Amino acid sequence: MNSYNIEKKDMNILLDRFLEDYKVFGPTRPGADSTFDEITSIKQLHLDYTSTVLPPKKFFHPPKETLFSFELKNDKFTTKESIQDKKILILGIHPCDVHAILKLDKFFSTDFSDTYYQNRRKNTVLVAINCVEPSEHSFCSSMGTGPYLDEGYDILLTDIGTKYLVEIGSKTGQKLVEGVNLRKATETDFHEKERRLKLMEKKIKKFMNTTWLPRIARENLDHEVWLDLGEHGGVDGSFPCLSCGSCSLVCPTCYCYDVYDTMDLSLISGTRNRELDSCQLLEYGEVALGDNFRRDRKDRIRHWMLCKFGAAAGGKNSSCVGCGRCIRVCPSKIDLTEVAKVIRGGKQR
Amino acid sequence: MNEYSPNLAVIKKVRKETHDTNTYTLEFSDKKLQKSFSPAPGQFMMLSLFGIGESAISLSGTSNNGSVTTTIRNVGSVTNAVLRLKEGDFIGMRGPYGNGWPLERAEGKNVLIVVGGMGIVPLRGVVNYIKNNRKKFGDLEIIYGARTPDDMLFRYEFEKWKQIKNTRLDLTVDELPIETTSKCKIGLVTSCFPSMKTHHKNAIVLVCGPEIMMRYAAKCLETIGFKDQQIYLSLERRMKCGIGKCGHCQIGLKYVCKDGPVFNYADIKPFIHPL
Ligand SMILES: Cc1cc2nc3c(=O)[nH]c(=O)nc-3n(C[C@H](O)[C@H](O)[C@H](O)COP(=O)(O)OP(=O)(O)OC[C@H]3O[C@@H](n4cnc5c(N)ncnc54)[C@H](O)[C@@H]3O)c2cc1C
Ligand code: SF4
Ligand code: SF4
Ligand code: FES
Repeated sequence: MNSYNIEKKDMNILLDRFLEDYKVFGPTRPGADSTFDEITSIKQLHLDYTSTVLPPKKFFHPPKETLFSFELKNDKFTTKESIQDKKILILGIHPCDVHAILKLDKFFSTDFSDTYYQNRRKNTVLVAINCVEPSEHSFCSSMGTGPYLDEGYDILLTDIGTKYLVEIGSKTGQKLVEGVNLRKATETDFHEKERRLKLMEKKIKKFMNTTWLPRIARENLDHEVWLDLGEHGGVDGSFPCLSCGSCSLVCPTCYCYDVYDTMDLSLISGTRNRELDSCQLLEYGEVALGDNFRRDRKDRIRHWMLCKFGAAAGGKNSSCVGCGRCIRVCPSKIDLTEVAKVIRGGKQR
Repeated sequence: MNEYSPNLAVIKKVRKETHDTNTYTLEFSDKKLQKSFSPAPGQFMMLSLFGIGESAISLSGTSNNGSVTTTIRNVGSVTNAVLRLKEGDFIGMRGPYGNGWPLERAEGKNVLIVVGGMGIVPLRGVVNYIKNNRKKFGDLEIIYGARTPDDMLFRYEFEKWKQIKNTRLDLTVDELPIETTSKCKIGLVTSCFPSMKTHHKNAIVLVCGPEIMMRYAAKCLETIGFKDQQIYLSLERRMKCGIGKCGHCQIGLKYVCKDGPVFNYADIKPFIHPL
């Protein structure tokens, strides 16, 4: 595939090209934190961000969506699907988040295909950017999901000083840059990329040893760390889990959802909807007659951790990519990399 | 195709089973779909009541023309709304989902069915299948426990079941009202095990009921010589999708909806016993 470079100050030319065909979303900085939002002018774009509060999952598996509407006509119900086919381009997505999307792609297409996810995904172009500055919580290098990206992108940018290196990853990506006056990338550009990414890797301060991790987790179902996480706290200074579910909401590979119907006042029509859910919430495991398969907080946080360690039903498709978001938002200072150390027996609490 | 989109089905017949449970005969409105519909015993459907929601419901029977029966107990919002439906009413239905009972494995073997309460529902299809393919199977023994005799489902079929060649039906209840004429035994399903005819040699056991009952039944079966691999359980979990996407039904490394609901006891044992 071809590679080019573009002066940073000329990025507006590339953006304008994208805007011709797509609604563009990228990292903006409305306050102290960055967030993926619609970009209509280069001024809004902040490609030098470390992490966003919510992952780009929101574009494919939104926090809330309508699956279909239904209507009662002559005693019969008719349904109408709400399929989204707007073409969007996500600009400035980091390697860890691209890897998370690749996992969700697999998850939502194995055995049964999820029309809603697939439709959105099919209509999305990913313009990724390699990370040159880690957030204090990220550990992508341990997870093999960063800081370099070598798959899953249509176009890949790397900050190489006053320029971006532009690498093409797909036909769609190639078509998008045709007509834009880009210079061919040089040997020096690639050297600079290499140098910066090596430097970046050195800046990462968090690690998780993933060797045999799913198996170790499965063999430690009755480890005392689960009770500590759920009830006592004290896992590397953590407090007891609050079952708030924030960790699931911000995790780019958490896929669980709840389904509910709404009815209009007329009682003639309504909608079926889905909404992100979390195994950390009490209701998640409830069944008939008040039974609950994960009533205790320790069982719920254990399930969540196992899922992120790749030891739940989602397997690798819902395991952690090391983005660090859950660590950042957890009000109880729970850090899964510390939990991994404890169940390995490598760390005394 | 959108897997989440329910197909319209019409209620052909309603049959009262107990004070809170009915059996419904259902047919898809789409005739082509109806013709090609051939679910296996033990599979389930996602039933939809528009405006209320969806529920996982086992098939209690099938017929040659593709119509199916479901047997539904009123425990909450969807099931309560179902109970108010009449013949001719419409309902949404998608499926069938899940793996069903291992009927091929059961061929040539004696079949022991141990069920509690609603657990009889997904196994009624197996009883009928064995009846219709009698030569393929060894002896059939059914141990069925319910709360009271009036809570027993498919009572009107017990006589027919007993007449299936080489079949034994053993009924037990938790309590027996004083005024009853029923000859049921009192006790848990496991209390029927001592008088059980099925020997563990060349047998397969199919178990369905409340999880606690299945746990005890499986444990007791182990102590009388059955191997874990001979025992199959059908599990129940909260289900929001039926197709391995919503996450709710996870147990260990499996989805009950997609990888089950029927599991070999050997595979699922670490996950159903309280940790
Ligand atoms: C594979 C499978 C097969 C089933 N087959 C049948 C059947 O043949 N007949 C039948 O009557 N029921 C069956 N069930 C149970 C049935 O799905 C639930 O009773 C039903 O979904 C409850 O929904 P509701 O809206 O009526 O209750 P809700 O108002 O949602 O809830 C009432 C109570 O039921 C619990 N509940 C919700 N969903 C489930 C669930 N999936 N499983 C167990 N409890 C739940 C709630 O936590 C609450 O305690 C089956 C369940 C599964 C998983
Ligand atoms: S588990 Fe935490 S660090 Fe890992 S991908 Fe999810 S949010 Fe990111
Ligand atoms: S964010 Fe922290 S406190 Fe909240 S559910 Fe997750 S682990 Fe528990
Ligand atoms: S019911 Fe949704 S994953 Fe099994």
